[in-house]
Amino acid sequence: MNAPRFQHEAMATFWELTLPGADPAYARQAAQAAFREVDRLEGELSRFIEHSVISRANRLPPGGTLTLPPDVLACLLLAAEVSVATERAFDPAFRSLRPPELPPELPPYFLDPETHRLTSRAERLDLDLGAVGKGYALDCVADLLREWGFTTAHLNAGSSSVLAFGDESAAGAGWAAGLVDGDGTRVAVPLQDASLSGSGTDEQGEHLMDPRTGQPAAVRPRAWALAPSAAQADALSTAFFVLEEPQIREVCAAYPGIGAAWLAADGSLRGAGTLAAAVATGQRTRA
Amino acid sequence: MADLIPFTRRSFLSTSAKLGAVAAAAPYISRAAEVGAKGADTLNVAIIGCGEEGRILANAAMPIPGIRFAAVCDIWPYNLTRTERLLKKFNHPAQPFEDYKDLLANTKDLDAVLIATPDFMHAEQTVAALKAGKHVYCEKLMSNTVEGARSMVLAAREAKKLMQVGHQRRSNPRYQHAREKIVREGKLLGRITNISGQWHRAVSDDYGYPNGQAIPEAKLQKYGYANMHEFRNWRWFRKYAGGPVSDLGAHQIDIYNWMLGSNPRSCIASGGVDYYKNHEWYDNAYIIFEYPTKDGLVRAQYQVLTTTSAGGGYHEYFMGDEGALKMSENPRFTKLYREARAPEWEPFVAKGYILKPETGEGAAAPVKPWEKPGVKKLAGPAPRGATVDVRETAQLSAWDIPVTLDKAIHQPHLENFFDAIRKGTPLNCPPDEAFASAVTVLKVNEAIAAKKELTFTPQDFIA
Repeated sequence: MNAPRFQHEAMATFWELTLPGADPAYARQAAQAAFREVDRLEGELSRFIEHSVISRANRLPPGGTLTLPPDVLACLLLAAEVSVATERAFDPAFRSLRPPELPPELPPYFLDPETHRLTSRAERLDLDLGAVGKGYALDCVADLLREWGFTTAHLNAGSSSVLAFGDESAAGAGWAAGLVDGDGTRVAVPLQDASLSGSGTDEQGEHLMDPRTGQPAAVRPRAWALAPSAAQADALSTAFFVLEEPQIREVCAAYPGIGAAWLAADGSLRGAGTLAAAVATGQRTRA
Repeated sequence: MADLIPFTRRSFLSTSAKLGAVAAAAPYISRAAEVGAKGADTLNVAIIGCGEEGRILANAAMPIPGIRFAAVCDIWPYNLTRTERLLKKFNHPAQPFEDYKDLLANTKDLDAVLIATPDFMHAEQTVAALKAGKHVYCEKLMSNTVEGARSMVLAAREAKKLMQVGHQRRSNPRYQHAREKIVREGKLLGRITNISGQWHRAVSDDYGYPNGQAIPEAKLQKYGYANMHEFRNWRWFRKYAGGPVSDLGAHQIDIYNWMLGSNPRSCIASGGVDYYKNHEWYDNAYIIFEYPTKDGLVRAQYQVLTTTSAGGGYHEYFMGDEGALKMSENPRFTKLYREARAPEWEPFVAKGYILKPETGEGAAAPVKPWEKPGVKKLAGPAPRGATVDVRETAQLSAWDIPVTLDKAIHQPHLENFFDAIRKGTPLNCPPDEAFASAVTVLKVNEAIAAKKELTFTPQDFIA
C-alpha cells in the first residue's frame, strides 16, 4: 500500500509520519499541524535553545523556581516516574551539581503539580530531556492525529523511537517494526497502539552514560523498550541500556505492558516482558 | 523496585495532578514555596484571538505574578476550547466568548485585553476595547492599513488608556543592551552606514483543520471571512493581512527604526507572487530604505523569502565603520565584530558591555548551555607585532554580548505592558512609535506595486 509519508527535521533528527486512509491533501495538512506541534515542543523542551523552559530551568539559582507549561510538567512527571521505576537507571538530571548536604535519595529538583512549578535543589541544575522528549512529542503527535480523525498511523522519530496506532492491514497484525540483533538478523515486532524505542552506541558512538555512576555505560551495544506510550519507551530504552539483566526483568515483571530486549555480551538477543515472545519466536530475516 | 503501579499510556495524565496523587514519582514531588503578588495588585486580563500567537501570549503571561485571565475569545471553538483548558489548568477563570463585543460587555473588572487576531481585526477590536476603558496589548502589525493604525493611536489618546504593540524585541534585554550600551553609549560600531536584514523561511503548505471542526459558512461571513480556507490561511490574503513583509519583516524593520532612532525617507522594493499558486500576497521581497540620521545617511536592505530556509535564518545586521552588530532573537545568530581600525574594545570588556571569546589563559570559547559543544569560535584579534605565524587569513574578531534572555521571548514585553498599567513604567512600544513602524512596513507593498522609489515625509509618521 502507498500511504502518504511526510518528513520533517526537528530535535536534531528526522521525523516521518505515515498516514493511511485519508485524502493526501488532508493528510499533508495534518502532517503540517503535527510538525508544528513538534517544533513547539522542541522550543519548550530542548536544552539547546536559549529561552526554552528547560534552558531556563538549568539557569535557576539554588532554590530558584519556575512555572512550567503543561507539556513540560507532564514530560517531567513522566520522566520522574520512569526514574523511580528504574532506580535512576534513567535520570534526566544526573549531570547536575548537587550541594553536599542534599540527601542522595532526593533528586536535584522537585515538581509541584498543583502550581505547575519546578524548584531547583541543585547548585547548578542540568536537566536533559534528550532521552524522553522525542517520545513525548510522538505521543502528542499521536493525540493530534487522532483529533484529526486518523484511526491508524505510523510515527517515526529518527528511527530510535517509533509509535504506531491502529492497524496497517486488514490482517490485524499491527504495523511491522523490528529489532536487529548482533549478527544482523532482523526480528519482527508487530506494533499496535504501542511504541518501540532503541538506545545504543552504533549511531552516535559512546554517548550514553550510566546516571548511577556518571561514567560511560559499557554494558551492552543496544537495548530496546516496548511501552504503551513513546515517552515511556524512549526513557525505558535508555534505562535498559545500562541496567543489569536481572533488574531489567524485575522492571518488566513490575509493570505489565512493558517489554525489554537487549543484546547480551555473547551477541545474542534476549527479551523480557511483552518483548519476550517476539524475541523468542518472532519472524527472523536478514536485515 | 518501586511500588507496583501499572503504566498506562499516560500514567500521569490519567490520574489527578493533585499533590500526592503521583506516588510513583514521590521523591520528585513537593509543594513549591508561595510566590507572586496577590490581592489588590492583580490585573484581570482577557485574550481575544486564541490561535498559535494567542497561546504563546497566554503561556508567556501566566508566569507573571498577579495576572488573572478572566476571559478568552475566539470565533473558532477548536481554538477557544484549547486555550480555555490551558488557562483553567492553571486555575484562571477564563470565561469563554465567541464574540469580542460580548467579552467586553460582560467581563467584570477587566483591566486589559491581549489581541492576537488576524491583522484586519486589530483596529476594530483595539478601538472598541479602548473605548470600553481597557488597556490594550495588540499583536503586530498594528493594522493592515495606515488608516486602521491611525484610528488605534487616536483612540488610545482619546481614551487615555495604554496601548502596547507586540514588537517584542524592544523589550528583549539583549536588544536593549545592544542599543543602550553597545551602539549608543559605547559607540562600538562607530558611524552606522548600512543595515542588512532578512527572514528566510522554508515552503509552507496551506493550513488545514480536523474534519468536523469547520466553522459554518454563515458564521464565518458574519465575522468577515469568505470561507474556512481563508480563515485558516488569512496571511496569504490581502483582505486580512499585509503579507510576509508584515508577518515577518515588521518585527525587524521596527528594529531598524528603533535602533537608529529615525524613520526612513525613501523605500524602493521588488517582490512578487512567484511561487505559490493560491497566495495573493507577495511571497518574496527585496527592499532598500534610506534613513537620514544625525550621523549621516544609513542605507538599509531587507529581504523576506518564504520558499527557502537557506542563508542563515533571521537577523538584523547593523554595520558601522568601526564595528558590526548582528542581532537576532536567536542568540546563535547574534554576533559583534570589530574592524581593525577601531579603538581597542578591551575597556568595554572590563565594563561588562561585551565578552571576548577565547580570553583567559588561552581558554577555549565558553560554550553556552544551549549551544552544542564542538562549534569552533572565530579567533580573537589578529596577532600584532613582528612575529606572525603565517597561516590562513585572520578573521574579523568576533565578540559576544553578555546578556541572556531568561524568559519566554514575549514575557518581557508583556511585563513592560503590565508594569506600565501598575506603576506608570514607560511603554517600550507605545502607539506613536508603533504607528511609524506600521507606516514604514506598509509602504513596502506600495513600492512593490508601483515599481519605483517612493518617498516619505516626516508628516507621514505622525498619526
